[in-house]
Amino acid sequence: MAPARRHRGGLGALLLGLSLTLNPGLAPAADSEESAEALTVLSWGGAYERAQREAWFDPFTAETGIPIEAARYDGGLAGLRDAVASGEVPWDVIDMTRSDAMAACAEGLLEPLSPNLLAPAPDGTPPERDFLPDSFGRCAITHTLFATVVAYRRDAFPGQRPTAIGDLFDTQRFPGPRALQRTPAVNLEWGLLAYRVPREELYGLLSTRRGLALALDSLERLDTIRWWEGGEQPVEWLLEGEVVMASGYNGRFFDAMVHRDAPIEILWDGQVQEHETWVIPRGARHPEAARDFIRFTTTTERLAELARRIPYGPARRSATRQVTTHPETGQDMRLHLPTHPLNAENAIVKDEAWYARTQERISDYFRDWLAAHADE
Amino acid sequence: METHPARQAAARGPMGVVRFLALVLLGALVGGVAAVLAAGFVNAVLWLNEVLLISPRSRMMFDRPDLLLIATVAVPALGGLTVGLLHRAIAERRAHTPADVIAAVQTRRGRLPARAGSLSALSALVSLGAGASVGQYGPLVHLGASLGSLGARLLRLGRSEDNITIACGVAAAIATAFNAPLAGIVFAHEVVLRHYALRAFAPIAAAAIVGYVIATSVLERGALFHVADTAVPQPWEFALFLAIGGLGALVAGAYMRAILTVGRLAARLPLAPSLRPAAAGAVLGVTALWVPDILGIGQETLRFATIAGAYGSGELVVVLVLKIAATALCLGMGFSGGVFSPALVIGTLFGALCGSLVGELGALSADTFVYYAVCGMVAVTAPVIGAPLTSLLIVFELTGSYALTTAALASVTLASPIAAQLFGRSLFDIQLQARGLDLSAGRGRAVLQGMPVGEHLSRDGVTLAPGVAVENAVAQLGRAGHGEAYLVDSAGRYRGCVTLADLEAARLAGDRATVGEVATTERPVLTPDSSLWDAMASLEGVTGEALPVVDAADGETFLGVVFEARIARAYLAHSDELRREEHGTG
Repeated sequence: MAPARRHRGGLGALLLGLSLTLNPGLAPAADSEESAEALTVLSWGGAYERAQREAWFDPFTAETGIPIEAARYDGGLAGLRDAVASGEVPWDVIDMTRSDAMAACAEGLLEPLSPNLLAPAPDGTPPERDFLPDSFGRCAITHTLFATVVAYRRDAFPGQRPTAIGDLFDTQRFPGPRALQRTPAVNLEWGLLAYRVPREELYGLLSTRRGLALALDSLERLDTIRWWEGGEQPVEWLLEGEVVMASGYNGRFFDAMVHRDAPIEILWDGQVQEHETWVIPRGARHPEAARDFIRFTTTTERLAELARRIPYGPARRSATRQVTTHPETGQDMRLHLPTHPLNAENAIVKDEAWYARTQERISDYFRDWLAAHADE
Repeated sequence: METHPARQAAARGPMGVVRFLALVLLGALVGGVAAVLAAGFVNAVLWLNEVLLISPRSRMMFDRPDLLLIATVAVPALGGLTVGLLHRAIAERRAHTPADVIAAVQTRRGRLPARAGSLSALSALVSLGAGASVGQYGPLVHLGASLGSLGARLLRLGRSEDNITIACGVAAAIATAFNAPLAGIVFAHEVVLRHYALRAFAPIAAAAIVGYVIATSVLERGALFHVADTAVPQPWEFALFLAIGGLGALVAGAYMRAILTVGRLAARLPLAPSLRPAAAGAVLGVTALWVPDILGIGQETLRFATIAGAYGSGELVVVLVLKIAATALCLGMGFSGGVFSPALVIGTLFGALCGSLVGELGALSADTFVYYAVCGMVAVTAPVIGAPLTSLLIVFELTGSYALTTAALASVTLASPIAAQLFGRSLFDIQLQARGLDLSAGRGRAVLQGMPVGEHLSRDGVTLAPGVAVENAVAQLGRAGHGEAYLVDSAGRYRGCVTLADLEAARLAGDRATVGEVATTERPVLTPDSSLWDAMASLEGVTGEALPVVDAADGETFLGVVFEARIARAYLAHSDELRREEHGTG
């Protein structure tokens, strides 16, 4: 990739003939017939896919000549299961949450993926030290991290602002209704973190009756909770002034702050991070090109480029350091990344293995509690 | 064992510096290896607890309630069986503990056995992994100490260096396990060496630093306590912290008594010693079905006890009593493990109990609750391991909170002296005293108690058959230049002792013909394994040249004598060595 870039932008491009500079990437691509076939990437659509196209898909096509076709994904494994069973797998690469990737890998729906295919950082740091911990699964490689955070209205608490996740439950200093997701996940974590337990022990403590009870005690301290299910709901409630604090995805809050000028602020303390990974489905038609694609998009430079367009944290430390401003708005994107050292100081990484094994019991427990304490 | 004034002189100057630096380097090396082993041990215990369904996380993630019930009882029981079988391979039929380390250093014997050390570490790993209510720091300390001693032996160093490398291993183990280098250094001095010498300090510090550096890069764990930055206790609360210290000493005493009592009762059980841990494990597992808090090291219990409102007062009493009982059961019945981690849990529960009682009186804000928990913790742990300074430093290094350390200081001020008066300096000292090693009079006495007189045995004494005529006896003594003779019969049995004065008196009186008839001077008798300390004590009532030594097995076969002058010289030599070790600079 490095030599190709030199062709495109360097002094050499001027001296070489017009024919070469017009489309330098085509030369290696023409060597093999099959690589000109399009690679199908299953991703999440919307602003996220637009950012991916600018930062990843188009540069990959320019480099290799392989066009990228994006298909729309809505999570879950049902479609993948059917496709693998039928032997007709229409996708080459899937952008999957890590918990789904773990389950799919266990079901044998994915090709194994070795971290050996990854490129080192520009300064030579090997991938295993550059990527954040637990970025490599048996079948999945993390490319970005998103976070569930608390956002609050700047005008709700004159003279002070929440600084710690415990403030979410402090209705004396920060009065007003809250909006929380109608799931045990994240709420239990925050409920227990409010007692200032160390985050390393969080899931061990949540594994006891006492820990669960303490976590729900925190929630009970709130007078009014509005429960949301769709990701856009907490943003709307905050903007309308229905609630003063709300949990939600960091990307949505960023969008509201930057593009809609919403008077809200993100509280990064206690953010719960989740991994987004690349996987190759079993039976994919272009596994070699898919590996090249994964290697290309997870380079330090490409990860940093994506994070300039949408505030998802690069899985590489070297990429987080290189993130600059949004190409259109000029916003300094580092301040909005979950993985930036300033924001990540007290980040929780969601224990997906724990949820995978306890989902049902924890959900029942939470539902019973909701039924007993529903105030809406 | 002899004094070498020449070597002492050579230790000064440039060569002395090189030798000293080499010792520091050795300390760092021992520290590095001990820290890697300690980190591996801690991680192996965590892994075993996950795999064997001991940790709450693994129990939560396991969704077969029926199998979980079976595992809760079977895992500690089978773990106990393994431990019992492992201990059969150790000469003493029990795991070695920090008490053995203290004994080796205080008597200057050193030379901790590598085989028993590694078997003890292994059985501790099984005990902790299978969820026994025992501590992990004791085994780590012993592992580090055995390693240090092995290093000194491999390099053919003297006992003094052996003691220093033992202390290095201990310091590194504590520095690694707690992430607290200062606590490691102080623990090695306070509990193991029990004196302060510059010569020992530098290698120990090097070992602790290496351990700390390795710990921070290998082990990633939360700190033991967290404190709200804003909360500072009211001045009057320090009076409560003092009181917690006084009461905590009693809790510590109850805890130590419980361990020792179960140990004594277990010896009377009609159950083979190697099956006792299995029985204890089964009882523990059944109890844990109702109160899972008592299983394992108790990290989660410790954490909840620092949170106001996590336990009600009644629950705190139940868990406190059950945790003491469970630990006494496991340790007394022969599981391998330490006493420190359970003491941390018990102390914190006790402090939390005090905190909630004060809170129920309405005088307490929840912000200072953690102060009570930590005061209780220090008040119980410091007396148990006999280390008030180490306990304080652990609090300081783990929290970085000066306010919390001051509160802990108030608590330990009363706890340590009260417990020492009522029970003893530490559980280790009490155990050693039961084994016949009294450390209450300090190291000088311990060293002499550990030195057998056998190595000072002499055959130069004049021996006579009981039938020898008095005349001949006087002549023989005159020729040999001695003032005493020892009567030994034809079967080689010791028959008493005569002095030249007795013989002269008998000759002048002329009424007794053989030495056998001359009144035998009452004289204490030693055996080869009598200690120098005993010999000194025997000499107090004796005026004479030497003490006879007889075979320990039959109590009468004459082996030789130990001259009073040799005993005195040995005493001076040992005192001199101790003085140099404790006050020398290098």
